[in-house]
Amino acid sequence: MSLTDGGAEPEVTVRDERTQEFVAEWRNASYNCYSSGHKFCREVCPVMQVTRNESWTPTAFHANVVAMERGELDVADIAADYVNCTQCGACELRCPNTLFTGDFYRFRTRTVDVVKAVRALAVEKDIHQPKWQSWNERTDERTHEPVLGDIDISQERVRDWAADLNIPIGGESILFVDCEAAYYRTSVPRAVAQILQAAGYEFGLMAEQWCCGGPAAEMGYVDQARRFAEHNLADWRSVGAKRVLVLDPHDYISFTEDYPKYFGADFDIEVVLVVELIADLIRDGVLTPTVPIERTITYHDPCRLNKRKGIWKEPREILRAIPGLTFRDVDRVTQWSYCSGGGGGLPIEKPELTAAISAGRIAKAADLAVDTLVSACPWSERPLSEAGAAQNIDVIDIHELLAESLGITVGGSRS
Amino acid sequence: MSYRYDEQHTPPEPTRVTDVAITTFEDLYEVDPRLMQEWVTQQEFPNWDSLRIMNSRHDHLEWMHEHFAHKVIHGSELLPADPDPNPSGEVSL
Repeated sequence: MSLTDGGAEPEVTVRDERTQEFVAEWRNASYNCYSSGHKFCREVCPVMQVTRNESWTPTAFHANVVAMERGELDVADIAADYVNCTQCGACELRCPNTLFTGDFYRFRTRTVDVVKAVRALAVEKDIHQPKWQSWNERTDERTHEPVLGDIDISQERVRDWAADLNIPIGGESILFVDCEAAYYRTSVPRAVAQILQAAGYEFGLMAEQWCCGGPAAEMGYVDQARRFAEHNLADWRSVGAKRVLVLDPHDYISFTEDYPKYFGADFDIEVVLVVELIADLIRDGVLTPTVPIERTITYHDPCRLNKRKGIWKEPREILRAIPGLTFRDVDRVTQWSYCSGGGGGLPIEKPELTAAISAGRIAKAADLAVDTLVSACPWSERPLSEAGAAQNIDVIDIHELLAESLGITVGGSRS
Repeated sequence: MSYRYDEQHTPPEPTRVTDVAITTFEDLYEVDPRLMQEWVTQQEFPNWDSLRIMNSRHDHLEWMHEHFAHKVIHGSELLPADPDPNPSGEVSL
């Protein structure tokens, strides 16, 4: 970049054509933040809460794009900063440009999209975060995320969690089980499947389920994400599926935001969130929990349900239907600043940061003198359980808890 | 409750409410999209996103009142009892 004399506008040289395309696409979204500078995002951001690092704020993530447009930064300079985001969506919801005017103008703050786009630009330019690169390579080889560490994950084992449950392959309604639940916390899909069976709700499994592709998209590996999505959509169609039942909020984001972007109006599959379906079944009297559960609980609003989708009533309806519980609730707006730290690839690249965020969330539960933190997101439950062990707080999935109150012996693994 | 692409990308037929605003869902007001075609163009907004923002705003305002307001009054109560004798807005010095 060179400056001309006499205070004239600086002559700006963006470094390459791809960066020019990138800033052309994201300049309005970034100036929307940069020119406002409200900074309400700071205190609801889980990363900011535990690091106070100004380079990792939503404001910085947008300002960097403005600087890229002016030729003062290249993606190589700032790619590593963008690791520090769980994509929880708190910043973009709390931003006045979303909360007070976003629906009016049909123009809102899009931090999550900006973070994903910068990560994708970095990968496209062969700038990799080492653990993300390894994670996505292994996911690509195995068609599932390597959630068991050194223990191998294979396509042949993706339905092991359901071995004794007599679930058919195919049908109009397909239960999609995320990688963490299929291989690690298998008690969650077992609980969901047995609850649906108890309700007489017919469903099947995929012929060959792959990872949803969402984590790859979140970490910038967009071609891989798209390939996985194409496989899954083709599989659903091959088994005659008309709807997909989703137990994991991260999958729900993939199927209702990423897949529609990939396939447009050709995406003709109905997507049903299981926690909403179950709340309906309880409301309609199809399911009635009767076994008292003597626990003192609070509920963790998963970010991708509460902040990113506005879904918070149905989980509370389910919990209030379970007899015996003492429920010390924290409202959904207060929980905009709560997070497990388990999203956006953060636990892969920076597990110590995820642990600090989870410890903060568990401390808030401990202040309520509860013995149990209930979540509705399998990806939150591993870091929260690890933090909860230090405070003697059990972390349980809402489907596991409901199944117990329905008299179901769930089985499977919680760790 | 569930997501279907066609439903989410088909908002209700708009009704004009002022020269610059329309309404689609109940209590959801939007700028006339013809006013956002040049400098800043509108983003793609599925129905769930518009409704999420509107409902979150209501929840947030209620939360603010619960946490910070001693009482809530209508804005008109703050206006002077006598109407403005100079409605043109001209300021006399």
